[in-house]
Amino acid sequence: MTAIPIAPLPRARRLSATPGQIALALAIAAFLLLFLGLPVGTVLYVGFTEKGTGSFTLVNFYDFVRTELFMRSLWNSFYVSAMSVVWASVFALPLAYLTTRFVFRGAALVQTLGFLPLIMPPFVGAVAMQLFFGRNGSINLLLDDWCGLKIGFMEGLNGVIFVQSVHYFPFILINLSAALRNIDRAMEEAAQNLGSSGFRLFRRIVFPLALPGYLAGASLVFVKVFDDLATPLLLNVKDMLAPQAYLRVTSIGIADPMGYVISVVLIVASVTAMWLSARALKGRDYATTQRGGGGLARRIMTPWEAVLGYGVVILILALVLAPHLALLLLSFATIWSFSPLPDAFTLAHYARVFGESSLYIKNTLIYATLAGGIDIVLGVAIAYLVLRTKLVGREWLDWAASAALAIPGVVLGIGYLRAFYGVTLPDGTPLASLWITIVLALAIRRLPYALRACSAALQQISVSLEEAAENLGATKARTVRRIVVPLMAGGILAGFVTSFSTAAVELSATLMLVQSNSDAPLAYGLYVFMQSAAGRGPGAALGVVAVLLVALCTVLSHLIIERSQKAKGMGH
Amino acid sequence: MTAYRLALAFGLALTTSIAHAQAPAGKVTVVTSFSKDVTDPFKKAFEKAVPGVTLEVQNRNTNAGVKYLEETKANNQVDLFWASAPDAFEVLKGKKLLAAYKPKATGIPDKIGSYPINDPAGFYSGFAASGYGIMWNDRYAKAKKLPEPKDWQDLAGPAFYDHVSIASPARSGTTHLTVETILQGEGWEKGWRTLKAMAGNFNAITDRSFGVPEAVNSGQVGVGIVIDFFAFSAQASGFPVKFVYPTVTTVVPANVGIVTNAPNKAAAEAFVEFLLSLAGQEVLLEPGIRRLPVNPAVYAKAGADYPNPFTDPRFQKMIGFDVDKSEARTGVVDTLFDQLISFQLDALKGVTKVLHEVDAALAKKPNPQAKALADEVRALIAAMPVSEAQGSSPELRGAFTGAKEKGARQAEIESQWASFARDSYAKAKAKADEALKAAR
Amino acid sequence: MNAIAPLTTPAVSVDIQGVNVSYGDNHVLKNVDLAIKSGEFFAFLGPSGCGKTTLLRLIAGFNQADSGSVLIGGKDISGLPPWKRDVGMVFQSYALWPHMTVARNVAFGLEERGVARDEVRRRVALALDLVGLGHLAERRPSQLSGGQQQRVAVARTVAIEPKVLLLDEPLSNLDAKMRAQVRRELRELQQRLGLTTIFVTHDQEEANTICDRIAVMNDGVIQQVGTPMELYERPANLFVANFLGTANIMAGKIVGTGRDRRFEIEGGMQIHVAETSGVPDRAKLVFRPQHARLSPAGGPSQASFSLTCDIIGREFLGSSIRYFARAGATEVAVDMPFQSSRQLFEPGTAAMLNLDYSSVLWLAE
Repeated sequence: MTAIPIAPLPRARRLSATPGQIALALAIAAFLLLFLGLPVGTVLYVGFTEKGTGSFTLVNFYDFVRTELFMRSLWNSFYVSAMSVVWASVFALPLAYLTTRFVFRGAALVQTLGFLPLIMPPFVGAVAMQLFFGRNGSINLLLDDWCGLKIGFMEGLNGVIFVQSVHYFPFILINLSAALRNIDRAMEEAAQNLGSSGFRLFRRIVFPLALPGYLAGASLVFVKVFDDLATPLLLNVKDMLAPQAYLRVTSIGIADPMGYVISVVLIVASVTAMWLSARALKGRDYATTQRGGGGLARRIMTPWEAVLGYGVVILILALVLAPHLALLLLSFATIWSFSPLPDAFTLAHYARVFGESSLYIKNTLIYATLAGGIDIVLGVAIAYLVLRTKLVGREWLDWAASAALAIPGVVLGIGYLRAFYGVTLPDGTPLASLWITIVLALAIRRLPYALRACSAALQQISVSLEEAAENLGATKARTVRRIVVPLMAGGILAGFVTSFSTAAVELSATLMLVQSNSDAPLAYGLYVFMQSAAGRGPGAALGVVAVLLVALCTVLSHLIIERSQKAKGMGH
Repeated sequence: MTAYRLALAFGLALTTSIAHAQAPAGKVTVVTSFSKDVTDPFKKAFEKAVPGVTLEVQNRNTNAGVKYLEETKANNQVDLFWASAPDAFEVLKGKKLLAAYKPKATGIPDKIGSYPINDPAGFYSGFAASGYGIMWNDRYAKAKKLPEPKDWQDLAGPAFYDHVSIASPARSGTTHLTVETILQGEGWEKGWRTLKAMAGNFNAITDRSFGVPEAVNSGQVGVGIVIDFFAFSAQASGFPVKFVYPTVTTVVPANVGIVTNAPNKAAAEAFVEFLLSLAGQEVLLEPGIRRLPVNPAVYAKAGADYPNPFTDPRFQKMIGFDVDKSEARTGVVDTLFDQLISFQLDALKGVTKVLHEVDAALAKKPNPQAKALADEVRALIAAMPVSEAQGSSPELRGAFTGAKEKGARQAEIESQWASFARDSYAKAKAKADEALKAAR
Repeated sequence: MNAIAPLTTPAVSVDIQGVNVSYGDNHVLKNVDLAIKSGEFFAFLGPSGCGKTTLLRLIAGFNQADSGSVLIGGKDISGLPPWKRDVGMVFQSYALWPHMTVARNVAFGLEERGVARDEVRRRVALALDLVGLGHLAERRPSQLSGGQQQRVAVARTVAIEPKVLLLDEPLSNLDAKMRAQVRRELRELQQRLGLTTIFVTHDQEEANTICDRIAVMNDGVIQQVGTPMELYERPANLFVANFLGTANIMAGKIVGTGRDRRFEIEGGMQIHVAETSGVPDRAKLVFRPQHARLSPAGGPSQASFSLTCDIIGREFLGSSIRYFARAGATEVAVDMPFQSSRQLFEPGTAAMLNLDYSSVLWLAE
């Protein structure tokens, strides 16, 4: 029908890059090299050196393969990551499907609440979760009372899987929902017309069409779980790779290369996983350029379906938001110990953090906003270079940025100290002691999220929209500014929100880099409180403040997205 | 307030006493593992006592703090290191990251218990003491009908199976000292036997010191092996927890040291002096801190039930602690603990569970064959891949401290120890099952 | 007409010289040479995959040629990026920017050229009036019908007063009725502006109705260039004959020599083709349906030569009837004027197929 049959995709036709694009690519490469490659390299190279002589060797990797503990950890990490993807899918699928596929009252609320688990403040979140789901948490105490049984929600590998799938399932929810919304109504109607309905319709048409979104989310969950060390450590599970790396890197007095070797393995495994998911998606890019119709036909549920649907949604939300509820209770609790509910309630914790938190909030907002800003600028630029130019090696920018996902925060933190502490400003202060270093570390850590969102947004823009602009006299740079960026606005904002909100509760790299209390973000304040018994309540209160703050910003940006979409007539 | 007036008086005294030197002013930066509950009152009191100086607190856990000083030494911006674990100070001293300073404060004895309060070489000074012991959640103990523990050996009993928690010694300086204390107090072989018997009852081995009191406070775990002030401050916050000092333990000081090339040396010295002054010592008595002052005079201000290591006979019995010995084998002990216990916990618990059942059966109906088998099981569990002498040997130390000369790699040694433990526990499990069959 | 004057620019010619384009092993354009005269409405016509869109995008600057050059008004523009070419293109999907109003869409190119604000406003109004959409200036593209969107796309392009107007299948997204109307409008607009216009289509009817000349393309090669009628009457090869209108093609071979030289149609029947007739040795017999006549079987021959055939079907087209008949091994279509339903050839019966030498073509294979 149409006459664009030669190359599979029109975008593949760009043969050369403009000097501006080359300069941009080089600038990004330099940035990544300086703030990711160099610091991480200075730390990880130890993994490749021989003990004593310091010469290059791979013997440490041989040791890794030969050590039963590490191989067991590797296998456990794979198992836990895969199972977490399964369970995260179980949580995310009904929420995404019901809120996008049906006329569902409160769909926006469900989507917003479904995002919350991603913003679980460190330490205090785990304490709250233990108080609810732990071996002597509220649920088990009640179960023990009533039926004399206990469920090991938080025990061993299964505990890790449970906590991780609750924590990270929003990645699948967000991506899957976006993909489901973008499926043309006609696709589904065609299938219905041919006699498909109900679950078969979902399984054979709707889900395969949403598969790119699902895979994007699932691969993020996999990699995050694979590389996360906080959750296994808080559940005292040590035979997984990320905790092993962390334990070895941060133990004093031990100059063992294995921690760095494991870090290298983590990075390689994560990049491989991302690469595999990208390969699986090749040729399955179903993005519908014609955005008419406004997505899936929204069905009205029968009363029976409605009861079931709302039941399932409420059940899932109750489960995944239980940690936040526990956190809220904890922040008002006087003493909560070995009992289903706190002994009494008080406002004193909020009073205690009230004075200090304004500084933390201000710092958090500045850091997270700047980090999110850097991320979307880089994200848009990298996505553009990868998807719209034929620059040699452009995928490497993508891989490098994605590799940041796999780098343990503490490795990055140490790397920053090592690489930048010797660099001084004219007045003698080290570069690494400026708060901007924290921002850079946060930006690097959260770049993969923003990059994914920006790539997805750019993929959905038809190339002819850009060609039309060039044809009318706009240079590539002008086209990006006037056409590409405005059209990507929704995706960019989504990327910003993800980067911002996760950066706002990030701790592992921050902890290494915070130089003074006046520069400290919320997560650091939380950490300081959570080091003592008396700090538990105030810590929880601060955690609630953090969650509210991020949630507020998220809702705000959703409102902005919606308004701008509506104004553009692109909404539905 | 007395403390306030004292602080004021001391402040005046201090300013005059060091007026001949350089008057301390500006910002003094301290890296500390102490929580806000500890640092906030000190900051307040110190800034009041020495006007013109601001105390800048950088909160990092001990390990991260050491790492931080190490990574930033090229352009050091930190004046003081302030933490509990003496071994962390030993590491810093070894890396030449601490500057020697002789405090002028008076009234502080040389020893607390049998432990020297200050570094003999003068690189760091003790300002508070802490003892190790057992902390438990009262509600939990009542619900599970746990007896009150009195000593380490009690925790090895069947009643405590799956109720005990400890921090990994590789991760927590305080736990490392607890382990080292047991090893020094009971001897290498017997100490490990006690540790492993206890470990069979562990529910969890956490990776940070505070993880243990946190779990006990919230009732997730019944009993924790902790440093005393965790328990005291939890009690002060109202948590239903109790604490006991066992017979084999020691009190060791929490320390402060001035960092090499401190940017504000005068203020750093002022802070050390303040910590050791009466006013500074009294801050330790605050309910949120509850550490043991090193100046015996201060105990007069404390309540009657406040433990006083200078008068309490229990503390006088406490064993001496050989810092050099501990320092020499830090990596070996921590790695042994991890490889033999932390990473083999499931196997170890499996055997211990059966062993408890055998003991119960034997108590009802004696059976010499089963008894003999059970003893064999205990011997298998207690078996160590290295002797005490080997543990302190330069070869092994070299493997763990990244010595410059070539030698065995840490990963190789770990791998050997892990398979040793795996095999021993597997054999022990088979024997224990046999014993159980015989005993029934 | 005065109102439109500011939108007209002197027409220029477009020359394509020896252009080759390939993607890897895929040779998409092979030695393409074309001379498009100034002010001409020119079509690239061909099936999917023939290279016509590649050629158009090459002129716009979205593709690079491996060799050869593109000249506009005699100037080689091969080295210029798209935004410096002054070549207006209307995209198949229209490529209207959803985040801008109609007026902002049209203003875009002018703004990029740094035209003063007042002037932009004036020219946007002018361009929109030109396509009759002045009243929809503040709408969003998504609020317009397909035809309206197409006209906005045209207005946006002509607003910058391009030297050449490129239309990439501009009618393919419209319904049949709309298509006829819009193509008349396009022709009218082109006439008024006098703009050199290149139109890419796979639909011969579109090309025939509005274009001055057509380049028929297949497999990356220009098959023939000419006016629609020339192409229809004198196709240069079998592809062109077959692609433009309906052509009956009978395969066969030459037998005999000299005066006895005959063309033997597959199936056995023979036609006299003297060596002097200019019929090549390897050729096919080609004729249009309206150039043949059917007569009752066994009757006298009414033309230069007659073949027997069997009627296998018929379609009533109003003024004519199209018969499908099998002559030898070939199925042919024959149009007969419709006079009365009583004088029809019935399917299943035999008939005579009459052809004149003057109305048949012999095309080399």
